[in-house]
Amino acid sequence: MDEGLDFAVKYPFSDSARKSLGDIQLTERIVELAVERIRKAVRGDDSARVVFHESDKREEIASFAAARMILGHLRNSYLTNRFAINESKIVRGRINKEDERTVDAVAAQFGIASAVENGMMLLDLPTYLRYSVRDPHYKLINRKLFSGRVEINAEEKKRLVEEAVKKHIERIPTVKDPPDIIKNAGKQLVAEIPKTEVRMTVKAGDHPPCVMRLLESLKNHENLPHHARWFLAAYTLAIGMGEDDIVKLFAGAPDFSEKITRYQVSHIKKKGYSVPSCATVMSYGLCCAVCRIGSPINWHTLEKGRKDAINAEADNAAKG
Amino acid sequence: MQPRDRQALLKLFAAYYETADFRIPGLEQREFGIGNIRKIEARHLNFPNLQSFRGYLTNNTPFFVSHSTAYYEFPGATPIQKKAWKGADLVFDLDIHAEGKYGPYALLGQVKADLQRLVKDFIINDFGCRDVLVAFSGNRGYHVHVRDKAFLPLGGEERRELVDYVMGNGLNYRDFFSYSDKKQLLGPRPDEGGYRGRFARAAMELINSKPTAVSRVFSKEKERGFFLGGVRQGNWSKTSLKFDDLVGRLSPLAATLPVGSVNTDAGVTQDLSKLIRVPNSIHGETGLIAKIIEPGEVDRFEPLRDALVRSSERMKVRFVEGVPSLELGGETVGPFKTGDEKELPRPVAVFFVAKESATLL
Ligand code: SF4
Repeated sequence: MDEGLDFAVKYPFSDSARKSLGDIQLTERIVELAVERIRKAVRGDDSARVVFHESDKREEIASFAAARMILGHLRNSYLTNRFAINESKIVRGRINKEDERTVDAVAAQFGIASAVENGMMLLDLPTYLRYSVRDPHYKLINRKLFSGRVEINAEEKKRLVEEAVKKHIERIPTVKDPPDIIKNAGKQLVAEIPKTEVRMTVKAGDHPPCVMRLLESLKNHENLPHHARWFLAAYTLAIGMGEDDIVKLFAGAPDFSEKITRYQVSHIKKKGYSVPSCATVMSYGLCCAVCRIGSPINWHTLEKGRKDAINAEADNAAKG
Repeated sequence: MQPRDRQALLKLFAAYYETADFRIPGLEQREFGIGNIRKIEARHLNFPNLQSFRGYLTNNTPFFVSHSTAYYEFPGATPIQKKAWKGADLVFDLDIHAEGKYGPYALLGQVKADLQRLVKDFIINDFGCRDVLVAFSGNRGYHVHVRDKAFLPLGGEERRELVDYVMGNGLNYRDFFSYSDKKQLLGPRPDEGGYRGRFARAAMELINSKPTAVSRVFSKEKERGFFLGGVRQGNWSKTSLKFDDLVGRLSPLAATLPVGSVNTDAGVTQDLSKLIRVPNSIHGETGLIAKIIEPGEVDRFEPLRDALVRSSERMKVRFVEGVPSLELGGETVGPFKTGDEKELPRPVAVFFVAKESATLL
């Protein structure tokens, strides 16, 4: 289906966008727009750009494709994740203002096809699993399931689309040998990356698998859901890390704000929240091994051999 | 095991494999693993078709044979990253742990009850899967292979979500209830999907069949009918019980809803490169067939009667350890003491030799 040029501008990952580009040539102007698009993501500016002229519109669409080329060439997880989050937020802002038909047209790009039956909006289970976020609200156990379909509402559908956009952008294909203007744009962007490195050095086995995975995500500049941050803050406080170090730890998150993080960490400390039990971590969807220790904090009482065995098993399960 | 026993068993297994009924969709895209002492000693094997797989089993008969749940572009390639993963069956492994060599067999009935709930209530009703194959594992439990195309692409985390669902991990039934401003207790309706509906149905059933298990007030037909009429609409307040009290009294029900015996230790379901026993192959530790159970037959299936390799021959064995009495091959056999010499139906003899409780004479 071709939803027209305006749709393509707003949703540059759509089939309509691909078609509208035709055999457009990569120009300096397009690459410039692409660089600006990525810079915006680094700044966390998720305001949508509005263009009026037909030729501007085509350039705008092309700038998304060019940005993907740059990121596919750089393979820098910080920039890619920032870009994925920001673009998905922009899309979310846009679909919030759309009518249902248009939301469905965007959703269809990712195979998200909900149907209304007996007044319920239903989505097939595999698609739901693919795009639901790691959050208790979306955990299957708390959902209504009807022979392979999950009940969702219009808000949740938008959230799934947002996640789908993010996942789609995260999976940028590698671009081996791009034109020079792309290479140069890449160099320029890398030079601008803020130098906040994750300070904590951890060895395998220092922390339980669920914590290691979160630290790994931070290192790769992936966004952590709210519960994950909360859990990680409570955990690191409990093992005696200082507030400053914990704040630095979160600096890897793509939407890091020092002020908010500092406030949250000291809030958790002041209230004396304890580390959630494994059952709770599991209900957040963050447990990734079978440690049988009741609480992640008990990891430190395990023998080394036992730790290694658990990690080996968890690695095995994660592979593929 | 004595080399002589080993040879004799392998010969019988080989004969079985000549006509064994295999159902392995995408056989040529799967990796195979075989073992003799351990379950998997060699992997990365692959076969172009059923005929060559069968030929392999009859000529190089192993004690154990497994195939990948995954489909690969290059199933024989190593390391695993080079295989190019294309999707995988969704599998569940149900088993039981019990003391002693023969302890688990008495408990297989419990696993079967779990199996039936898993397949009917969860896999078919909730997940809506089609193309489901159920097989006995050949020893202490059952395997469920879901080969429904819509589920093959799922990643490890997504599969884990399904395991959590089946096992009730993170289930908090109290979240099903809320107090509306009219001081009403709102809760799940029996016609809802997922755990909510299941909980409501279980509560209604319990109050109908054993009212006093919840509270004496429900022994009066009128109270009970009034209350259940409300529950059908999702209104749980039509009772003289205090709300907190009522919800608390229903807590034992919540624990009965999930399926407990799903084996998650080895991450069977979420491991995308898992090898699993080939359905209808022989489990070398028991000599039993990992028998495919036809839909509708699960009820009647008795592993220690139906998974034996049939034969009218008899064989003589000497027991090398004591064995409790067992239901085997449709009759009660044993107990046996160390040193007992017996002539037994061949399938029974094979079982005890494979378990290394007896040796052939
Ligand atoms: S079992 Fe507990 S400690 Fe281990 S990964 Fe899960 S939540 Fe973390």
